[in-house]
Amino acid sequence: MSGQAEGGTMRPWSRYGLGCLSVLAALALWQAAGSFRLVPAGLLASPAQVVAALIDISRHGYRGTSLGQDIAATLARALAGFLVGSAVGVPLGLWMGTSRLTTAALDWIVQFLRPLPPLSFLVLLMLWLGTGNLAKVALLALTAFPIVTSATYAAVAAVPQQKIQAAQSLGASRAQIFAHVLLPAALPMISTGLRIALAAAFSTVVASELMAGSDGLGWMIFSASQFLRNDIILLGIILLGILGMGLNGLLLRLDHRLIHWRGRE
Amino acid sequence: MVEQSVIGRRRVMAGATGLALAAALPLRRARAATPTINIGYFVETKPTMIAKAQGWFEEMAAAKINWIEMGSGAQINAGMVGGSLDIGMGIGSSPSAAGISQGIPYKVIAMLDNIGPAEEMTVRASDNIKAPADFKGKKIATPFGSTSHFRLMGFLKTNGLSLSDVTVLDLPPEQIVAAWKRGDIDGAYVWSPAKAELLADGGAVYETYKELDARGYVIADLFVARNAFAKAHGMAVTGILKAYGKALDLYQSKPDEAAAIVGKAAGVSTEVAAANLKEYDFVPLREQLTSQWLGSPGKPGAFAAELEHTAEFLVGQKSIRRALKLPAYQKGIDTHYLEEAVA
Amino acid sequence: MIGLLHRRPWIVTLISIAAVVGAWAGATYGGLISDLLLPTPDELWDGAADLVVNGYKGYSLGAHIGLSLLRVGLGFGLGTILGTLLGLAMGMSEVLDALAAPFIEFLRPLPQLAYLVLLIIWFGIGETPKIVLLFLAALPVSAIAARDGVRNVSGERVRAAQSLGANRAQIFLHVVLPSALGEIFIGARLSIGIVYATLIAAEMIAGASGIGWLILDAGRFLRSDYVIAGVLLIAAMGIALDRGLLLLQRRIVHWAGK
Repeated sequence: MSGQAEGGTMRPWSRYGLGCLSVLAALALWQAAGSFRLVPAGLLASPAQVVAALIDISRHGYRGTSLGQDIAATLARALAGFLVGSAVGVPLGLWMGTSRLTTAALDWIVQFLRPLPPLSFLVLLMLWLGTGNLAKVALLALTAFPIVTSATYAAVAAVPQQKIQAAQSLGASRAQIFAHVLLPAALPMISTGLRIALAAAFSTVVASELMAGSDGLGWMIFSASQFLRNDIILLGIILLGILGMGLNGLLLRLDHRLIHWRGRE
Repeated sequence: MVEQSVIGRRRVMAGATGLALAAALPLRRARAATPTINIGYFVETKPTMIAKAQGWFEEMAAAKINWIEMGSGAQINAGMVGGSLDIGMGIGSSPSAAGISQGIPYKVIAMLDNIGPAEEMTVRASDNIKAPADFKGKKIATPFGSTSHFRLMGFLKTNGLSLSDVTVLDLPPEQIVAAWKRGDIDGAYVWSPAKAELLADGGAVYETYKELDARGYVIADLFVARNAFAKAHGMAVTGILKAYGKALDLYQSKPDEAAAIVGKAAGVSTEVAAANLKEYDFVPLREQLTSQWLGSPGKPGAFAAELEHTAEFLVGQKSIRRALKLPAYQKGIDTHYLEEAVA
Repeated sequence: MIGLLHRRPWIVTLISIAAVVGAWAGATYGGLISDLLLPTPDELWDGAADLVVNGYKGYSLGAHIGLSLLRVGLGFGLGTILGTLLGLAMGMSEVLDALAAPFIEFLRPLPQLAYLVLLIIWFGIGETPKIVLLFLAALPVSAIAARDGVRNVSGERVRAAQSLGANRAQIFLHVVLPSALGEIFIGARLSIGIVYATLIAAEMIAGASGIGWLILDAGRFLRSDYVIAGVLLIAAMGIALDRGLLLLQRRIVHWAGK
């Protein structure tokens, strides 16, 4: 049973206000670190420099690609990898959840892929699939796939037997049990798995842009680091962070909307 | 009556087929005439940037070019294996020797440059390092797998220094600069612009290249072409080399103008570009055909032996499983496109 | 037959593994795939044996494994402990939560490779930036898990304890903490996954040791035999770490009682 331990005593806008205060304080500290030489010159770009870089790149792009292109490329790769991984992972997880033989045959592959750091097999993927987007999306798909499959499988396995038996005793067919009992009961956990997988794919998209890249926010950061452009590096990091938070928030809201029966028995 | 129409139908069919073929053929030839070349390249201060910026590569190869930026020669090798790269521009002799030894399906078609003093050991002037023995206990950084790494290991080997005497760290050039500024390293074997930044910040050159070149540690940057691609589009390959030749000519005749174009393309000032360009020995295309370098078709030059030596060294480093014998490296160099380009 | 397979599913697993190995052997020995892309089984074996016997570039294989585990342990340990403490505090104090949440929420989805460059600039090229990177990978997940664990404590229990006269500290120690332990451990298992995935990125910095670096370095010259041996090893290590944590979770959460 869940419930707030302390009760929500704070009003939403005072929470928000404190949060803003906190961020502003950090920004001020950042600016001060540079202005007062608390940090040796060249190690840190000031907030002003980062903003200047933002304006410059929005207008003129970075080394031939516009900022919009870079953001779009990174997002597209992460989403594509996530979608492919999930499109395979959810059905497979469902199948494994209902068939012990399938699990026995395929689970070892999923368990092997799970702990594998994506960077470790990027080189192999590039060898097999070339230096273009195919290898990058494949990397992200392989990152998302085991997470989604495991979560789906666990979700199906967690459905209480009583529910299934109850439906069976009412004369429901296998298909009806699947569609009206199993799936709805499993969806919350599947959704959580999908969120984690998207986070993982987003986390890895920068790694995928490390080699033979030509666009994307990750590529922009790596390229800028070669020219020691700290301002662009920081800009890239901040943009990535905002994108990540946005994606996360979006998914959370989708989850709340669509899986409105979460938590109810 | 019926027979006539049957024959008529056959004739019409034949005619239609013939027309269709005739219509299709020019289309296919047209497609073959403008291939798309996937070129892996580096953003660097070299004359290739001139030809790229001026569009000479596209013009003389009569092709569309897909420019794919590489981070290292190893990535060019990986791209060649997967077939996603057709030409590698500026791959070092180290990864090239590895590639030929491993049977990657490409050949060296020309030299971009002979590196010579452009990649060199840089130490702190204040450390007063005058002899190899002074390197004991020092931390020297270099990008692993590069031609600089090859030279550094060669330096240690020829001077009897072991990896416990000298700590060798793997850092990419930009991190070498940062580490130097923090005082984390005592020296580096690397190329400009990193090298120039070290020299500008209390660094001094410790010359090794003359001795190393004499001992068979010649390093160079090369052009490689994937076999299947070169076979299908020989004219395009020759065009690429012609374009490079034109850029070289511009650099020889109007170095200031060349430096300005290179600087703009590489994102550095004209002065920095000019200084970097001066350090390399850009062997003219004709000279590459002599026995000192790549040789001509049927008469392999001395560079093949350098590749063999590099490969043997890499075997010792466990970077590749085995090295091949000299004829394999001679066969790994194909100069007939070069010959056509200077004709 | 199907009945037998149902009773002994591990037979199916073995058949499945054998099929994959067989396809691999067939493709490589049969020349369908060049040995640059995929080593033959015996080349892989030779490469793995070579690593075990001769080590790799100055360190024994055991040393590489040990160093990687040490880095993961330090980063995960520091990050999880500090993160959990922070999360517990955030769960107990709405003010702290409001102040700290923006940074935690920003850090969590941020790809580690993105700020790796910054860490090198700030911390140099020794072990420090590696540990800091791994620490920052573990911190946000642990904090959020601990905070959620506190938030999800049953209100009834807290009120029951309060009615018995317990003070804040006692409530925290005897009601909140044990109840939150479950989520803390879930967070720990998530964060070790993230730390582990970040290991290779961490070992890219002035790399000269560690399994992650070994894989990257061998990949430079397309030594697919070393790369795959390293990948298998890193997968095995990862599974072991996760299982270890699972065991720990079962022990401790069980002991904490519910």
